[in-house]
Amino acid sequence: MKINRRNFVALGAAGAASLAMPSIGRAQGANVSFMSFNFAEDPNRPFIQKVVEDFKGSSGITVEPIGSAWGDMQRNILLRQRSRTLPQTAQIQDRWLPAIAQMQETVDLGALLGRPAIEEAIDPGALGLGLVANKLVGLPLISGSVGFVANKEIMAKAGIAKVPETIDEFRAALLAVRDKVPNSVPFGMATKNPSSIPLDLMLLVWAHGGRLVDDEGKVVANSPATRAAFEFIAGLMRDRLVAPEIDRPDARRLFAQGTCAFYIDAPAARTFARSFSGRGEAADAFVLPMKTPILRAGDSPRSVEWGQVISMFATAPVAADAPVVRWLRNFISNGVQTTLPLQLGGLPTTKSGRASPIVRNDNFLKDWAAAVGVTRKHEIGVWSNGPELSTILSEEMQAALLGQKNANAAVDAIQSRMEQSMARRG
Amino acid sequence: MTQVTGNATAGGDKPSRLRVSSAARWGGLKAGERRVGLLFLAPALIAFATVIAWPFLRALGYAFTRYDLQTPVPRFIGFDNFRMILSTPEILGSFVTTGIYVGLATGFTVLLGFAWAMILNQPFRGRGAIRAISLIPWVLPSTVSAFVWGWIFNSRYGLLNALFLELGLIDHPTAWLSTPNGAMAAVVVTKVWLSIPLFMTFFLAGLQSLDREQIEAARVDGAGNWPVLRDHVLPHLRPVLLVVIVLGVIGNLQHFDTIYALTGGGPVRATAVLSIEVYRRAFDQWDTGLASAIGLLWVATILPAAAYYLRHLLRGV
Repeated sequence: MKINRRNFVALGAAGAASLAMPSIGRAQGANVSFMSFNFAEDPNRPFIQKVVEDFKGSSGITVEPIGSAWGDMQRNILLRQRSRTLPQTAQIQDRWLPAIAQMQETVDLGALLGRPAIEEAIDPGALGLGLVANKLVGLPLISGSVGFVANKEIMAKAGIAKVPETIDEFRAALLAVRDKVPNSVPFGMATKNPSSIPLDLMLLVWAHGGRLVDDEGKVVANSPATRAAFEFIAGLMRDRLVAPEIDRPDARRLFAQGTCAFYIDAPAARTFARSFSGRGEAADAFVLPMKTPILRAGDSPRSVEWGQVISMFATAPVAADAPVVRWLRNFISNGVQTTLPLQLGGLPTTKSGRASPIVRNDNFLKDWAAAVGVTRKHEIGVWSNGPELSTILSEEMQAALLGQKNANAAVDAIQSRMEQSMARRG
Repeated sequence: MTQVTGNATAGGDKPSRLRVSSAARWGGLKAGERRVGLLFLAPALIAFATVIAWPFLRALGYAFTRYDLQTPVPRFIGFDNFRMILSTPEILGSFVTTGIYVGLATGFTVLLGFAWAMILNQPFRGRGAIRAISLIPWVLPSTVSAFVWGWIFNSRYGLLNALFLELGLIDHPTAWLSTPNGAMAAVVVTKVWLSIPLFMTFFLAGLQSLDREQIEAARVDGAGNWPVLRDHVLPHLRPVLLVVIVLGVIGNLQHFDTIYALTGGGPVRATAVLSIEVYRRAFDQWDTGLASAIGLLWVATILPAAAYYLRHLLRGV
């Protein structure tokens, strides 16, 4: 093409127009875009790929999956919102929803899909995963809880005959592992990543009878129970029962490779153990869901509500029969609900999925359900300033672990810094 | 100058029919050349405006707004973000951490870069090969270097622990990156390792322009190594040294990638320099307003060094 002034201007205009294209990104050559963190994980990618291919086979609709690591997912969504390149649908961890719900592009799925129909299909216990201020902003895909997992093989090596039930028994078990299994990390507690630390900390604070933020958003960290939890955690580090530089993915690998006895995870622990151990389904033999240790006999073991939802983003009204809506509905179809949640290590969210024989006969999920105890919502993630609260908790916990602050000073700092953050949140 | 290709009558008479080229109609040949120059400059200008100037100006505006997850549309709040910076010890601590990091990284790089240049300036067999190998850290992508050093410092399977355990210097593996001093040392060592080749090149170029006869004359007069270095080499390298220090300070004030890859600013906030602080506030906590305000102050810390460097550059050091 001859470059003259007119062509130059035309090219410039075309470039500018392409930059100003629609703000919700449809993948090139595909009908629907879907951002997924499971698609970025080697063990889980084939499962998502299968759902995409089966959906194309049955509907003729092409879906482009976009992988994004779990730790980057929330950041990617919010960055894409600001750069107007949001995917049409995305897999979201339940505790990110309060932040995601703030985006004006997030679609009210209750209005789009019909709230009564959704309530009819989804188990009432799982429906809450997708609700923010009673608005359905995520279609529940997988449900479960986050709790403790034990490695039976390491317990046997360390001579631990009984799964620890109390905090004291748990500590004794950790000491046994440290002394009898060389080069092991007895407890793969998250000590490195601000995204992972709060969850582990929260469970241990609950186990000691404390809370961090109550249901009304009041910071209640400043309590003897929280101080006791911090002293317990700092003691674990002093005695080399937990290790620095451990994040959830590290703990999963160490656990699967036989160098970590206990760690905290969702039911997805089984999938990771199968993959990272190289033993496939044979790894199920050593993955044991256990109740969160309690302080005193008679206390209820606690676990954190956990689940994944599918959210949808649009800047204009979407027709009820649009490809993206059909893709969305596919996630709560029987075909998907009786396979994908199990493959990803969770429970289905639909009533029919939960009632299916394949789910009811899964021994691991039965054991998991027996170990759940009393579940509570993530105390930090439910607030829209959750990321800042997570940073505060992580910094103060690391300070206590490293001995930079004693338990009292760390808890005092958490109380005052989190109060300021909540006040700023308004 | 207007180019006239026909005849014109003098004395203000109405000219006869003139044939004027298009270039002349637009202000003459020189103006035409200027337009072509601008056209060639346009891509760079557009890129600069789009990628640097416009985001900077927007960030400048955001610094005076509340713009976070709770406030999706920026709201003007005057100097509140700056007041918050002044009243938040954690953020103020980042300025101190930045000072420590820049001081250590620049100091050690200059020192070791100079020492290495002195060695590579000596005639010995294999000098050319060693000079070439010395450039490897500079050529490697910085994140690759960060992961190499992350592996060296790793608490469980790191090279440093293996070496120290072998030598009997430690009883059990140490988590270098999980102690404040260890983490700071690790990020400084990594940056120094990355920067030595460039600094060494500057110094080597300076050393090669040093008059050897002058040194030999000093030696004949009985001058030892230290007097030669102090009275001849260093004065000769003074302009190079100034440029290298200023460039080092600017580069280390801006540095982000290896620190983020190695420690993420931790443990606690031990390596949370300003670049990390801005990133965390903007992309972990989504407080764009506060991040912009910190970023503005960060730019202010870089400006004096940048101005000093530019002044010397324009003068022709």
